[in-house]
Amino acid sequence: MTRVNRDTVVAILLLVGCGVLLTASLDIREPDYGQLSPAAWPRTVVGVLALLSLIYLVQSIRRGVPDEAAAPAEKARRGLGAWIAHWRNVFWVFALFLAYLLALPWLGMLVGGLAFVFLLLNALGGWSPDKLALHAVIAVVSVGGMWSVFTFGLGVLLPRGELFGWF
Amino acid sequence: MVWDNILLAFAEIGNLETILLMTLGVGVGLLAGAIPGFTIAMAVVLTLPFTFSMPPEQGLAVMVSVLVGGLSGGLMSGILTGIPGTPSSVATTFDGFPMARKGEPGLALGIGVWSSFCGGMFSAVMLVLFAPQLARIGLEFHPQDFFMLVIFALTVTASLAGRDLVKGLIAGALGLLVRTVGEDDAVGMARFDFGSDALLGGFDFIAVLIGLFAFSQLLADVRDPEAARRSLTDRGNVRVRIEHWRAIKVIAVHWTTMLRSALIGVFVGILPGTGGSIANILAYDQAKKASKHPEKFGTGVPEGIIAPETSNNAVEGGALTPLIALGIPGDVTTAIMLGALLMHDVVPSPSFISEEPVLAYSIFIAFFAANFIMLGMQSVMLRVFVLVTRVRMYMLTAVILGFASIGVFAINNVTFDVWTLFWFGLVGFAMRQLGFPLAPMILGVVLGNIAELNLSRSLAISTDLTLFVTRPWSLFFLTISLFSAAFPWFQAASARGVRWAGLYGPAMLVAVGLPLAMMGGSVRPGLAALSASFGIYLGWKVVRRMKAA
Repeated sequence: MTRVNRDTVVAILLLVGCGVLLTASLDIREPDYGQLSPAAWPRTVVGVLALLSLIYLVQSIRRGVPDEAAAPAEKARRGLGAWIAHWRNVFWVFALFLAYLLALPWLGMLVGGLAFVFLLLNALGGWSPDKLALHAVIAVVSVGGMWSVFTFGLGVLLPRGELFGWF
Repeated sequence: MVWDNILLAFAEIGNLETILLMTLGVGVGLLAGAIPGFTIAMAVVLTLPFTFSMPPEQGLAVMVSVLVGGLSGGLMSGILTGIPGTPSSVATTFDGFPMARKGEPGLALGIGVWSSFCGGMFSAVMLVLFAPQLARIGLEFHPQDFFMLVIFALTVTASLAGRDLVKGLIAGALGLLVRTVGEDDAVGMARFDFGSDALLGGFDFIAVLIGLFAFSQLLADVRDPEAARRSLTDRGNVRVRIEHWRAIKVIAVHWTTMLRSALIGVFVGILPGTGGSIANILAYDQAKKASKHPEKFGTGVPEGIIAPETSNNAVEGGALTPLIALGIPGDVTTAIMLGALLMHDVVPSPSFISEEPVLAYSIFIAFFAANFIMLGMQSVMLRVFVLVTRVRMYMLTAVILGFASIGVFAINNVTFDVWTLFWFGLVGFAMRQLGFPLAPMILGVVLGNIAELNLSRSLAISTDLTLFVTRPWSLFFLTISLFSAAFPWFQAASARGVRWAGLYGPAMLVAVGLPLAMMGGSVRPGLAALSASFGIYLGWKVVRRMKAA
C-alpha cells in the first residue's frame, strides 16, 4: 500500500468515525436548562474533525506520488512474513500487555506484573538460559519493588488475583 | 502578606522529606534526559502517579525537579557520546562532543552544567517577575477570551509540531474529542458512552497522557529488534570529572552569549507549542551569527555549548509563566504539569496566584531549588549514567511498562484506567507511524474541558456570538490563531522564494494592531500604532522589492 493510499485510508476511517460519533451524539439527552446543550461541544468538535478529515482526504488524493522517505519502510513491509518480522516487537508488547490485562482478575497485579515483565523481557531480549536468570531478577526487583512502594508506602490496594489470594 | 505566603511556601518545600523527594526527582530527570529515546515529557508523565498521594505543593515540587533534571540530563550523553539524550540538547553535541574528543570532556561538561544552571536561574527570576504581571493582564479576560486563547494554543501547537498542519489540527481535534467522552461537567449528561458504565466515567486523562506519550514512545524505541538489544550508548569516554571552576571562568567571559540565549529560551518557552528542541537550535544559530569566529563553531568552542544549554533550561521558566498566570500550558511538559494541578483539584487561572499563593510560591521556590539540586547532582549522576549506558532499551521498556500499569491503576484504583493506557498506547503508536504529531493531541486532551467550560460560560453570559470577534482579547487571539494556522504555508512559500511570503510578517503586525487599538488606555493603542506603522513600512519595502524584481 503506498503512502498516499495509506493516508486516504486513514482519512476515510476518520470520516467514518466522525459519522459514527455524529450519530451517537443524537443520543445525548437535552436538558431543559443551561445555555449550552451537552451535545453542542462534541458535535462542534466532530464537525471540525470531519472537515479536517475531508481536507486530509482531498490532500492525500491530490498528492498522488508516495513520499520517498517512506519507501524503505514500505519495502520492509512487503510480504506478510516480512511485515510481521518488521513489527514483531510491537506485536509482542501489545499481545503480552493484552494478556496481562485479561489475566489481571485471576493473577492480580503482582503476579501478573511479574509474569508480564519477565515474558516481555524474554520476548524482546531473547530466551537464552543466561538471560532467563537475569530477566527473572529484573522482573522480581522492578515489579516487586514497585508493588511494595504502592502497597506499603502509599497504601494503595492493588488488584489481587483470584488464584493467589493476598497477592 | 506576600512574605507570609513565601514563608509558608518555604515551609512546604523546605522540609527534609520534600528535599529528598526533589533530589530523587532531579536524579530521575537527569537520567531520563541522558538516555537517548527517553524524553523529558515521558519522565514527567510517569512521575504523575507517584505524586497523587502527596500534598499538591510537594507533588508539584517533585515534578518540577524531574523537569529541571531532564532538561539538564541531555548534555551528559550529548557531550560524552555525541548522541543527544533529548531533542533539547541536539545543538549541544555540535560543539560539546568535539570538545570532549579534543581531550576536554570535564570542561565541556562543566560548561554545560553551569550554563544549564544559569539558564534555569534566569528563567526562574523571569517566572517570578512576569507571571504575576501576566496574571494581572489575564484578569481582564472574559470566558470568550479564554476560549480563543485555548484555540490559539491548539492552533500554534499544530502548526509548529509537524510539517503537516492538517494532521496537527486533526490531532488537536482528536484530543478535544477524547475529553467529551463520559458525563459532561456542566449538567452531567452521558456522552459517547455507548451504554458502557466504564465509558460513562470518561477516560482518565493521566492514563490517556501516559498511553499516548510514554507507551507509544517505548514501542517506537523497541520496534527495531537489533536496536532494542543494543546498549543505550557504546561510544565515547564516560569516565570523567567535571571541571567546575574552569567552566565558571569560561562562562563569565562569554556572559553575553549566556544572556542572549537565556532570553531566547524564555521567549520560546512562553510561546505555546514550542520548547527546548526549538530554543537550543535557535540559540546556537544566534550565537554563531553573533560570534567573531563563526567558522570555529562545530569544532568545540565554548559558546557552542553555552548557547544551547542555557536556552533549553531557560525554556521551562517561560513555559511555566502562561501556565501559572493564565492556566494555559506553554508546552507538552507544562501540559502534564497542568494535569498534575487538576489531579489535585487546583485549576490555574489568572486568579491562581492570589487564590493559591502558597502553591504558586511553592512552584517558584521549587524551580529555584531544583536548579541548585541539579548542580550538585550532576557529578553523582554522571557515575550512574556510566552504569545506565550498559542497560538495553528492551529492559527499560519492559520495566517501565510494568511501572506504568501499576502507577496508572493507583490513580483511581480502577482497572479501566490500565485498559485506557493500553488503548491510547495503541492510538499514540499508530499516530506516530502515520505522521500525526502527538503534542497537539496532548494539549487537546488537557485543554478540552477548559475550552468547553469557557464556551459554556460565554454563552451563559451572552448568547451573542459576535463577542468572539468584537472583544479585543478574543479578537487578538483569533488573529494570531489565523496567522499561526497560515504559518506552514508561509514557511513553504518562503522556502520556494514566492514573493508574497514577504508580506506575512507585515500583515500580521498590521492585523494585531486592530485588537490592541480596541483595548483602550494609552499604552496599548500606542503599541497598536507602532505595530501597524512598522507593518506598513515593512510591507511597503516588500512591495517595492517585488516591483523592482
